[in-house]
Formats: sequence, structure tokens, C-alpha cells
Amino acid sequence: MAGIWIYSEITNVAEQLLTIGRELADKLTQPLCAVTIFPEDAQALIASGADKVFILKGDNPWPESYAAGISELAVKESPKVIIIGATLRGKDLAAKVAAQLKTGLVTDASAIREENGAIETDRMMYGGLAVCTEVIGDGGLITVPPRTYEALIKDTSHIGEVVTLEVITEATMVVGNVCPVIRKGADITTADKLVCVGRGVAKQEDMQLATDLAAALGAEIGCTRSIAEDYHWLPNETYIGLSGQKVKPSLYLAMGISGQVQHVAGIRDSKIIVAIDSNENAPIFAAADYGIVGDLYQIVPLLTEAIKK
Amino acid sequence: MPNIITCYKWVLDERDIKINPGNLALDTSRAKYKISEYDRNAIEEAALQATKCDAKVTSLTFGTSIAKQSLKDALSRGPEKAYWVNDAIAETADGFVTSNVLAAAIKKIGEYDIILFGEGAADTYGQQVGPRVATILGIPAITFVAEMSIEGNKVTATRKIGDCTEVVTAEFPVVITVLPEINKPRIPGLKQVLGASKKPVVEWKTTDLELGEGDLIPKNQIKSIKGFVMSRKNIIYKEGTLEENIKKLVVSLTKEGLL
Repeated sequence: MAGIWIYSEITNVAEQLLTIGRELADKLTQPLCAVTIFPEDAQALIASGADKVFILKGDNPWPESYAAGISELAVKESPKVIIIGATLRGKDLAAKVAAQLKTGLVTDASAIREENGAIETDRMMYGGLAVCTEVIGDGGLITVPPRTYEALIKDTSHIGEVVTLEVITEATMVVGNVCPVIRKGADITTADKLVCVGRGVAKQEDMQLATDLAAALGAEIGCTRSIAEDYHWLPNETYIGLSGQKVKPSLYLAMGISGQVQHVAGIRDSKIIVAIDSNENAPIFAAADYGIVGDLYQIVPLLTEAIKK
Repeated sequence: MPNIITCYKWVLDERDIKINPGNLALDTSRAKYKISEYDRNAIEEAALQATKCDAKVTSLTFGTSIAKQSLKDALSRGPEKAYWVNDAIAETADGFVTSNVLAAAIKKIGEYDIILFGEGAADTYGQQVGPRVATILGIPAITFVAEMSIEGNKVTATRKIGDCTEVVTAEFPVVITVLPEINKPRIPGLKQVLGASKKPVVEWKTTDLELGEGDLIPKNQIKSIKGFVMSRKNIIYKEGTLEENIKKLVVSLTKEGLL
């Protein structure tokens, strides 16, 4: 088993993964290889730490169709581990590769480290209630969410080998009508400040309270799953939680959110968490740095005014 | 008449799990079980599609003896027949083992056109068993589906993948994993619950399936499962007047450099 492998269909994400890849490669004295479907990005991957880049050339632009190509290459080269960016496309591909290689797959690892010559991962379980630590079997796969690691500063003096391979892509599906999701606001996953709305807000008209507070703070607006899925007050792309968006702003402010474990799982990387809710025993306060217990309808307008000053 | 198999996992309800503050061990002694929420969307979608194209819906689960309780619940949500692979190894099964068992069971069931899964299990949220099963069976997988329709021997599905949507078409047989937004699962009524007990149930052991020995051994070694502790400042203003508390919060946020 040789080599730490990195793959993502988004090159920025692959560059982030090379940071942890480099660390593991050095500790385990293994080569660090990046697999990509974009020939033009090979040099950037080398400058971000890769010792070798495999370029897969196929005739299908659909990233998921390269699962068989990656598996075939892995059978030949037997990497110690394959780390894949946990975008939804990446997770789909990782599961297919893991099945082809008959190997394990850790989804959404929050941490990866070397421990006594082996690779260990941490990941959430039970909606964020628990952390599961696993020792990865040889040849295993791990997916890692984007922005878990920061890309290294590019070192153009780093030298790497580039190998181009022709692969056969899967063609059992017809893909069409690719449309970008139209976002009304900014992308909340990269927002520096967030105001987040939960069921403590009783009526859709009252969303104005959040809009005003967000404007005063220079924040974007997110929500809980029920606000998006059950009430449709905000688009699905703005709900935060385990099955929604994971955010890491410097300020996250919860308005009328009880703090179910699945929601908290999406905000735990926030720098400062502030909660406003009338229920003193709401779990959100245990997850908060600062909080005010009280009626958000009274607190939020006054807070908005105070911040404006 | 297409055959739909809808797979689900019988999981611990995380709301009933307590964490021992001393050693962070999980106390599941008082926890009840439930059909994983995401899989309820899969069962519901199977039932909805069945009314449109007269499909035959079968449910399939792999679980320990505890999963027996799940069968009536699953059947009350629409399927005509339930398959249950009952084995104690389900307790420690990972995505590799689970997909091997489900794929072997699906082969044994024999007739399948569409196999539905939720986007992930509510306990492990591994999001891998659906596409793994498709790969083992050598059939396409359309993952993260927000909308689907069946026409003839084809499924057309809209995937929602982060910043874009795309429409994917595949011929039977095909695996589909559905997003929670695809539907709102029904709450079974008394009539459905009573009707469920009359529906047929098939129980298999893993020894009834065509599996190699290695197929049932998990790939990664679980070192520990511990309660997650959020280390936060927990400064909660509740004693003073509204105005005082707001003032304190503004001072705190200013000190943090956030205002």
C-alpha cells in the first residue's frame, strides 16, 4: 500500500485536501498524489503539495462518471488512503469507488490524523450528538467537507510528476438541464456574519425583524430546516444543519431557535454563537457563547437599534 | 408494472440518547427506535410513485432482532410486503457490510426496477449505502434527488447538488437516493396501521443470502464513540431588565471585535 491520494472535482477543494495530505504523507513517508479530471490544474496541485498528479482523460464531462476510472487506477497503484472532497458529487463518487474497491468509507471526516503509523478519523454520529473515532483500514476512503483545511500557500518550486491516463467513463445515465441554483442572498456558507431564524418567529411578516438585524450587523440570513422545508419562508439552500449547510462565520446569532442537535451540528465551527430565545432551557443556550433569555419580539428591535448606534 | 424496493434502517432515536458527563459514554438504555427520517422520504416516494404508475412496492431492511418492531411501521406507510434480513451483525455493520447484505437480498428478491434509499441514515449519516448497492448490482445510481418521475422503463430525476440542479435519466433498473425535500412523509392512520399487520413479511438470515465471509467484516476499526462536548462561554443574560441585557450583549460583542 503506497501513496496518499487526493481527489475532488473542485480544484480549490483538492488544494485544501492536499494540506492534510501533505501532513500524512510526511509522517508516513508516503508519496502524495492528486487525481484530477482537469489537465490545466495539474501544476496548481503540484504547487499545493502534490508529488504526483494523475490526469484522468475521459469523454464525459460529468464528474461522477469517473468513479470506475479512479477505482481501476487505485487497483493498480494500491494507495494507502484516498481522501475525497465531501461535496455531494464527491460523496456519490466516493461511495461508488469504495464499493468497487470493496473497502471502507468514512463520510464527512472532521479531523484526520496519523496515530502509531495508522490513519485515524473523527466524524459526527447521531445527528451531531457524538463523535466516532475510527482507524482506517488499508486502502480505505475518507471524504472531507470543503473548507475543513486551508490550502497551503502555493510553492511553484515544488516539483511533481504528471501522468495522463485515458479512462472509460460510465455512460448509463443521460445528464442534462444543468442549472445553477439562483440564490436570493449571498452564499451563507462563506458569510462572515449570520442571523439565523427558527420557529420562535411566528409569522412570515416578522422575518423583517431578522432582515433589519442582519442589515445592522452586515450579516446574511439563514434558517432552521422547518423554516425552509415546512414553511418555505426562505429557500432550501439557506437552512443550516446536518443535512443542510454547515457554516463557520465569526458571528452566528440565533433568533427563536431551540437548538436541536442536527441544527447545532451545522453551526459548531462558528467563532461566536449568540442565542436569543424565550425558553431558558432551550439547548441552544448550552451551545452559545452569549445569550439573552426573553421575547425576541422585544429584544431584536432594541438590539438592532443598539447596534446601529 | 414496475417493482420498487424501498430500503430503510431502524435506528436509535438520538433524542433519547443521554451522555454521561463523566466519561462521555452514550447511554442508550432508554432510547427508542425509529425508521430513519431520511428513509421515510424514500418509503413515501415509493408509495406516491406507486399510485401514479401502479408499481408494486416492497420494503427491505437489514437489522438485528430489534428491527422486528419496524416491519409494521414500514408496512403502514404503503409497501405491500416487507423483507427483513435479521442478523446480530447488523449492530456493528458499516457501509461496506450493509450494502453487501442489501445487494444480496435484492438479488434474492429478484424483481426490481427502482431501488429507493434516503440520502443517509439518521444515526451514522454515512450517505454511501445507496450508491454502493448500485455499484455492487452493476446498475446506475442517481443520488440526491429532489424530484422524480417514471415513464415506461425510465426514471427522470432532478438532482440538487450544492450550487446546481441537473436532470438525469436512466433506464431500469436504477438506484435512487432522495433528499428530504422530495416529499412530506405521511403519518399512518389507524386504518393503515391495522392493515399493516395483514401484509406479508419475509425474514431472512444472512446465511440465506449469497455472501462471502469477507463481505460481513467491517472495514474500519471503531476506536471510540463519545458524546460531543461543545466548549462555549455560556454567558447567558437573564436576570436584568431587557435594556440592561441588550446593553451587556452589545458590550460583549464589541469586546469580541464583532461590532
